[in-house]
Amino acid sequence: MKIICAVKFVPDVDSVVNIVGTATGDPETIRTGRHPRMILNPDDACSLAFALQVKAGNPGCSVEVVSAGPLSVRPHMEDLLRLPVDRATLISGRFFDEGNSSGRHNSSVTGDLLAGYIADRPYDCLLTGTQTLDGGSASVPVQLAEALGLDQMLGIIRVDPHRFDTRRAVFEVADDTRITTYEMVMPCVLSLTRESGYKLPYVKLTDMRRDVSDDLTVITAEELGFSEGEEGRTGSFTRVMNIYPKTYDEKDRHIVQNDEAGITEVFDFLKAEGFL
Amino acid sequence: MKRTCIFQDTERMGNTTGLLEAARRLYGEEAFDTCGVFLDDPGDHFHGIFSHVVRVTEGLMDRWDARAMTGVLEKLHQQHDFDSILIPATTLGKMIAPRLARRLQAGLVSGVTDILRQKDSIEIIRPACSGRILEGIRFSGPAPVILSIRPNAFDYTPDASPGGGLQTNVSEYSAPATARSAVKQLHVEKIKQTRDIRDYEVLVSGGGGVKERFSDLYPLAAALNGTVSASRKLVDQGIAPRAIQVGQSGKTVSPKLYMALGIHGSMQHLAGLRQVDTIISVNTASHAPICSLSDIVVQGDTGEFIDRLMEKIMIHKLNNKDS
Repeated sequence: MKIICAVKFVPDVDSVVNIVGTATGDPETIRTGRHPRMILNPDDACSLAFALQVKAGNPGCSVEVVSAGPLSVRPHMEDLLRLPVDRATLISGRFFDEGNSSGRHNSSVTGDLLAGYIADRPYDCLLTGTQTLDGGSASVPVQLAEALGLDQMLGIIRVDPHRFDTRRAVFEVADDTRITTYEMVMPCVLSLTRESGYKLPYVKLTDMRRDVSDDLTVITAEELGFSEGEEGRTGSFTRVMNIYPKTYDEKDRHIVQNDEAGITEVFDFLKAEGFL
Repeated sequence: MKRTCIFQDTERMGNTTGLLEAARRLYGEEAFDTCGVFLDDPGDHFHGIFSHVVRVTEGLMDRWDARAMTGVLEKLHQQHDFDSILIPATTLGKMIAPRLARRLQAGLVSGVTDILRQKDSIEIIRPACSGRILEGIRFSGPAPVILSIRPNAFDYTPDASPGGGLQTNVSEYSAPATARSAVKQLHVEKIKQTRDIRDYEVLVSGGGGVKERFSDLYPLAAALNGTVSASRKLVDQGIAPRAIQVGQSGKTVSPKLYMALGIHGSMQHLAGLRQVDTIISVNTASHAPICSLSDIVVQGDTGEFIDRLMEKIMIHKLNNKDS
C-alpha cells in the first residue's frame, strides 16, 4: 500500500508573544517581536502518525511526505525522514519565500502545487490534516482533492486499521451531535483532526544522527510546470490587505480571594444579577 | 441588482439568518436578490425572506456528498450568475466552498466573522493564527466571490433586511448529479447532549486548572441554570467532548455569564467569546489573560471555589424552599 501525507509546517502560534499589526499581504509572514518557532501542523502530525502506524503493521506499505513551503522548513522535512518516512519532497519556490508580500500565496495555489506533484506519483491514499494552526480554513485538503478528482472527508477522528487497504477506508467523523462511520473508496483524501490522538513515534537515537540531507527531494513550482504568472491563476482575487492583532477590551476587574469574603461577594453578585 | 446564493446545511438550519445578515453587510443599502438552496428541507419557513428558494429534490444525493452538492451550486451559478455565494462554515460547508471556488475559478474567503464597508471598498474579516490575528481581505475579481461564514458570527436583524416580506419564488432542482462521491454512511452514533452550549445564558467553563474536578462543574452549572463548556486543552486531553469546546477551533458563545474556571485564556479561547456580559474567572494566577477581561477575578484553587460556592448555593436554595 502506498500512502502520501501532505503536511505543512506552521508557526507555533502559541509561542508568539507579540504580533505587530501591519499588513504583510502574506499570511505566512507573521511579523512578530521574534521569529516564531515552526512546528509540524498538529492535525497533519496525526495523519502522518496514523500512516506510520499502518506502515509499522505492514512492511509492504510505503509512506511519502510532501510539503509545499519555504526552503527554511528543510531541516524539519529531514526530521521526518528520520522517523522514518520512505520519501520526502519539499515543493518550494518564489511563492513561499519569506518576505514575499505579493499576497497571492493562497490555499488554491498550494492545492494546485501539491496536486501537480502528487498526480505523477503512485498512491492508494492521501492523508492530510483537517486544518492548520495558522490559516485554519481547511481549504487545502479540499482543493487538493478537487484538483485530483478525488473524494475527500474532513474531521476524521479515527480510521479503522482493519478496514484500511488499497480498496477502501472506514473511518469515523465527529460533529456536535454524533459520530458517523463512513466507508470511502480508494484512492481518496482523508483529513484527520488532532482529536484522533495518533502520536508520532520517537526518532531512534541512531536515526537522529543519520545524515539525510541527500534524501530530501526539493523541487520548484517551475519544475512542476507552473509558470510565474500562474500563481494568481485561481483564488487570487482575494488578497490580505490588513492584519489586525486581535484585541479585547480590558475590564476594570475586581480581584477577590478564595475565602469567605470573596465567595460571598461572588454569591451576592450572582444573586443580585438574577442567576440564582 | 446583485444576486447572492445562500446554501443551507440542513444540519445547521439555525445558521440561515446569520448568512442573510452577512449578505446584507456585503451589499449595504444596495438592493440584492437572495436565492436560498435547501437540501432535504422544503425551506418553507424562509418564504418571505428569500427572493427564491431552490429545493434540491429529496433523494437526489446523500446529504454528506460534498462533490454532488458542489455540482448543484455550480449549475445554479451557471443559470443565475450569482455575485456572491455564501456557505456556512460547517463540516459540510467547508468541504463544498473550496471545491466550488476551484470549479468556478472564483475568489474564496473562509471562516468569515465580519464584513466591513468603507466607502467603496469592502473588507472581509477572518481570524487566523488560532484567533491571534484578524485578516482583512479584499476581493477584486470577477464574480462570484465565495464566502464561508463562521456559525454564530452574524446576528440577523429582520427589519434591516431588504428581503423582508418578499414574494418568494420556489423551484425544484432535480437534474441528476454529475459527479457523486463513492462514500457510504455505515453507522451513526448520537452523542448524548441536550442543547447546544450556544443556546445558554450561563456557561460554567473548565480549563486545564480544573481537569481533576471537571465533573463537579455540572452541578454548579445546573444550580445557575446553565451548562458546562470547556477549553481546547480539556478536549484535546479527552476530558470534555468537542461539542462543548469554546474557542477558535470550537464554538463562539455569547452568554450573559461566563464563569471561567482554571482557564488561562489563550487567544484561541478568547476568540470564542463574543458579547459576553459578565465574566467571572477563578485562577491561581491573577495575571492570566482571561482575568484581564473579567469583571470578578477569584484568586485561588478552582476546586475549593466550587465546593464553597456550591455550599452557599445549596443553603440559599434550602432557605428559599423552607420559606
